[in-house]
Amino acid sequence: MAAHAGSEKPRPIDERRAGFARYKQDVKERGKPFYPYAMFHDTVMSLVVVSVIVALACIWKWTSWAPHHDGTHQGLLGPEYTARADPGTDNFVPRPDWYFYFLFYLLRIFKWPESVFLGTVGVPTIALLLLIGVPFYDLRRERRLLRRPLAAVGAVLVVLSMAVLTWKGATASEALASEVIADVPHWISQEKLPPQAQPGAKLFAVAGCTACHTYLGTGSSNLGAPDLTAIGTRNLGIQFQINHLKCPSCVNPGSPMPKFASLGDKRLKQLATFLEASKGKQ
Amino acid sequence: MARQLSRAQVRKQRMQDAVNFPLDWLEERSGLVGGVRYFLFRKVPGDTNWMQTLGSATLTAFLVQAITGVILAMYYKPTPNDAYASIQNITDHVTMGWLVRGMHKWGASVFIILMFLHMGRVFLFGAYKYPRELNWVIGVLLLTMGMMEGFTGYLLPWDQTAYWASVVGINLNGTAPFLGPWLAQFLRSGQEISGDTLTRFYSLHMLLVPGGIMALIGLHLYLVIRLGVTSPPWSKEAAGSELVEEPAAATAARPGLTRPVARGTAAGGSE
Repeated sequence: MAAHAGSEKPRPIDERRAGFARYKQDVKERGKPFYPYAMFHDTVMSLVVVSVIVALACIWKWTSWAPHHDGTHQGLLGPEYTARADPGTDNFVPRPDWYFYFLFYLLRIFKWPESVFLGTVGVPTIALLLLIGVPFYDLRRERRLLRRPLAAVGAVLVVLSMAVLTWKGATASEALASEVIADVPHWISQEKLPPQAQPGAKLFAVAGCTACHTYLGTGSSNLGAPDLTAIGTRNLGIQFQINHLKCPSCVNPGSPMPKFASLGDKRLKQLATFLEASKGKQ
Repeated sequence: MARQLSRAQVRKQRMQDAVNFPLDWLEERSGLVGGVRYFLFRKVPGDTNWMQTLGSATLTAFLVQAITGVILAMYYKPTPNDAYASIQNITDHVTMGWLVRGMHKWGASVFIILMFLHMGRVFLFGAYKYPRELNWVIGVLLLTMGMMEGFTGYLLPWDQTAYWASVVGINLNGTAPFLGPWLAQFLRSGQEISGDTLTRFYSLHMLLVPGGIMALIGLHLYLVIRLGVTSPPWSKEAAGSELVEEPAAATAARPGLTRPVARGTAAGGSE
């Protein structure tokens, strides 16, 4: 139509517009009405969705029904509720809902403080921007996946890594106080802990520290928390350790560690003594 | 000359007018009837398939969340002293409360899975390409807002899992540069997780985020209706494809709604 177009190659945008005009034309001439054809499929699918949700709710309820009904009983799909929230608790395992496991596990890969930023913000932000931007950098008109090799490989890699991260997050070992406490004598002999550091070692084992930190191979590494086997070699001082336990983010801006002020001064001092005495395997 | 109508025909005509009156009244004042008719009878490509029901399946899951959420809100008490007991009450005592809460809890997972599957389908079909880029962006926003619903809803039962997952989750938000500390402070509504955090999460979970999701779903559907749905890219008769093979004579002989008619044949009628 346009005179200047003449022998030149058509611009990509003109090709895309022509393709969409062709689409509109084809649908008008050869399409079928949404009702009843597509709507029938949609209705069947919606019924399936509602049935699945109801079935999950029933399995959740009926398999957690202990002889004397108790909502905290572990059914096939987990308990209906755990114990009431207790901010002064001694032992907890922070765990998000399953669809956040991929983020949760990402934080095991990146360690505090050097690269935890990559796990909490860096990688997720870049992934989100890449996702939003898909239609803006993938400008070819080709829609068949086999002729979009980059998109196909990218999609497979994303699905695989999400699946692996979710799976690893779901099966990540949790350090339970009852099991960790058994390792305390081993810690004392390996690190040659002085007697005044030993109450702190026991406290460390049961106060939930090992839910995120590792110590001589015990515990699980979560949320980018560092290994504390040789934390004492940094000679940060008992007062620093106490202040840090009371309010980690006040001392280490941006630290995701919860506050442990509720342990009380005496126990905080014990913990701090233990940490300062931990000079690694002797 | 107008044919004389029998008395029975006149009566039938009046009945029809009486039945149609409310719809005619509504149509004259709003145009809504025409809108619904357009929505229902708009053409979609003849080769759409089951994978393309994932979007409406996601909408269904969202509606389940909305309805069960409203019912839960009638019994739930968003204060640190009452929240846990009200969850126990809903689960153990309210008639069918366990079902409503169970559907809300598991519906959340189904909703998130369906959003991802729907996104995968759109990606597989290359359906985000011109002119549907904006709808892809809206879809990704809906996905992140859905995840926000999951995050804010998780705290509400006020049990140990809920509490500590949220403590750590909020702290993680705090590690973001620049906005992080402000965001963590905003979510906690102070320095510590407290009753204010609970009411704040409740408000975000049942007012702000779902409101945004509903608005974006409206926009999402508007664009779907305006731009149409795509044919599967591998389809031999994909709408808009330059490579369409003219359907064989056997197919063309049976034009109709389920059997697409070849482009340019007379079955379209008007041309």
